[in-house]
Amino acid sequence: MTLAFPSPEYDDVVAAVCHGTATEAEMSALNELLRSNPDARDEYLMRVEVHSRLASEPDLFPQVTDAAAPSRVPETGFSESRNVFHAKPRMQKSTRTRGRLLALAACLALIAAGTRGLWVRGVAAGKGTTSNAIAMLTRSVDAQWGRSTQPLRPGSALGPERLRLESGLAQVVFYSGARVVMEGPAELQLISPSEAFCPAGRLLAEVPGPARGFRLKTTQLDVVDFGTSFGIDAMHGRTELDVFKGKVEFSGGTAAKQPLREGRAALVQGSAPPQLMAAHPEAFTAMFELEERSQSSEAIRLEQWRIASAWLDRDPSLVVHLDLEGHSGSDWTLRNAADKNQSVQDATIVGCHRAEGRWLEKQALEFQSVNDRVRLAVPGNFESLTLAAWVRVQGLDRQFNSVFMCDGFEPGAIHWLIRNDGVLSLTVKGPGSRNSEIVASPPVLTLDKFGMWTHLAAVIDGKTRKVVHYVNGLPVASHTLRLGPPFRIGSAELGNWNAESGPNPAPSLIRNLSGSLDEFELFSRALTDTEVHDLYTEGKPQLEP
Amino acid sequence: MSADSTDRFEDSSAAQQQFLSLFLRSEREIFRYVAALVPNMTDAEDIVQQTAMALWQKFDDYDPAQPFTPWACRFALNKTRQWIERRQRWQALLNRGLAEELAQRREELQPELEQRLRRLETCLRKLPQSRRSLVEGYYYERAGIEKLAERSGRTAAATYKMLQRIRHNLQLCVESQANPEAA
Repeated sequence: MTLAFPSPEYDDVVAAVCHGTATEAEMSALNELLRSNPDARDEYLMRVEVHSRLASEPDLFPQVTDAAAPSRVPETGFSESRNVFHAKPRMQKSTRTRGRLLALAACLALIAAGTRGLWVRGVAAGKGTTSNAIAMLTRSVDAQWGRSTQPLRPGSALGPERLRLESGLAQVVFYSGARVVMEGPAELQLISPSEAFCPAGRLLAEVPGPARGFRLKTTQLDVVDFGTSFGIDAMHGRTELDVFKGKVEFSGGTAAKQPLREGRAALVQGSAPPQLMAAHPEAFTAMFELEERSQSSEAIRLEQWRIASAWLDRDPSLVVHLDLEGHSGSDWTLRNAADKNQSVQDATIVGCHRAEGRWLEKQALEFQSVNDRVRLAVPGNFESLTLAAWVRVQGLDRQFNSVFMCDGFEPGAIHWLIRNDGVLSLTVKGPGSRNSEIVASPPVLTLDKFGMWTHLAAVIDGKTRKVVHYVNGLPVASHTLRLGPPFRIGSAELGNWNAESGPNPAPSLIRNLSGSLDEFELFSRALTDTEVHDLYTEGKPQLEP
Repeated sequence: MSADSTDRFEDSSAAQQQFLSLFLRSEREIFRYVAALVPNMTDAEDIVQQTAMALWQKFDDYDPAQPFTPWACRFALNKTRQWIERRQRWQALLNRGLAEELAQRREELQPELEQRLRRLETCLRKLPQSRRSLVEGYYYERAGIEKLAERSGRTAAATYKMLQRIRHNLQLCVESQANPEAA
């Protein structure tokens, strides 16, 4: 095949290359042409550039959802309207990109986590994240790999391949979430994200809920896991299976499938029926310790959140983001991390104690006394709003416990609070002095949630006038308002309320929160259910439910 | 473990943040650099991801006084070379020095490409709604071709053809706009 330029065939082949559908013959022909014809080459670069711009510039796609759309066309004042019109799709885009970014950040974090005692300069880079990867080597201690295995290091992506560990310890995390620690000498054949084969060696498998059904085979045994921790000691002609937590199902020898419970072990030799006995975890001590020695899963979660957070900060509709990162005990201000909005510089801490946040290394603020509060001022009118916070409620001591409340009772003001019966309540103040509307959820902050990090969100959509309360990413109540926008924040407080009522306020006007706050966000638009759920997912303390 | 590798660990989170912020700023540029060689989006993204890992592993060697993007693009070229080694089809396109030639020529053309494509957003807005939503579905939502075909009631082949035609029109539009008289 040969290509001419210009020609319809040239057009088609270039398009097919962009779409990833070109055949090898077409690609060869194009190679021939582009090397011999500079015009064809330059035109090719231009076409590919149009394609790659479209693929890489989400800003090219404003959602024209408003009647005022044509006014965006003039270049002047464009950036103002951009905030409004781009807000929604940008977030959707960023949600997708953030997922990818999270994966990247997790990889980086894993590499960093694996450097404890292992970072060797100049070691050839591990295999890249190939598309056939099914697992990742996340950790190793004094690991010596067999000759047939290429050099492995924490962070290496693993495809379907056989690992030969001669000595030391290594942990493999399958993409299903199952973790297998190997103690050398051991061999492990990786088959799929949820299946592996161990011809010989000792292993400890931990299978979290979502990875249920993880299957591990030896020459004697076939183990299917139901969300547990179990050990395998396999050698030629003999396999011992020990269950330390939960339950597995196994079949071995000539025997049919059977369950094996926590604290029990089964020994299969040759074709004899399995011999049942008590599990002996002491044989797996070294491997248990590898788990315990490491706090890296926590560190990784924190890193993941940081990356997601950095990404979120670029959302133009994010007005306030208090991530409570990097403030010292003597520092009374909290920096607003929202990159795109300068209207709120920072917030002021009054009282409060520093406390541990969702992760060991993450800071939070604890509210206890009637003085404790975080003050901020948010200028402007808003058509829609989303409020979100990570809180750990210690108790609901007051009749009304403030999460985020605008000072006093100004028209358009918002009061977001938790009632002492566990009801989430959002009050929107109307123009008249007695005119306000309350949107209350069923009692959701019940005793079982006390002391736990909980994600709360409230969305006020000015267009549809719908208010939705969310707990841990899921809607728990929804109500349509009679009152409409504009909504105003002005001066407001987290964890308390300035009732502007003068000295000696009535008890119902004392609304301090008893608990901790580790993150707060305010958006100038209504987030969708999915977006609220994403916020929760990206911030939840552990990846597993 | 050497002293500086200890530092590397102690400092990993700050280093990571610095790295990610540099990388994020350059990511689109790196993507386009890679896409000039491997235009298919998912493949290019795959290579960019691998490039990110390589960059992070060599981040200690990065001199902050130098611009990040060109440094990163050198890695991207290497990663692209490695990536096509395992893919015969792409080798057929890029072998005999074409990869290097395209990368170099693109650099020379960069100012011109920039200038022309400045109008891309305006041109996109001029597209009829149905075409714009197809472009959006393909490039922005990253909906699969079958899904897009189903949405528009076309075949997959016709949908590809339509995308090709739309890109052609966009190119004509940016080129006419880039001409100062027409602007």
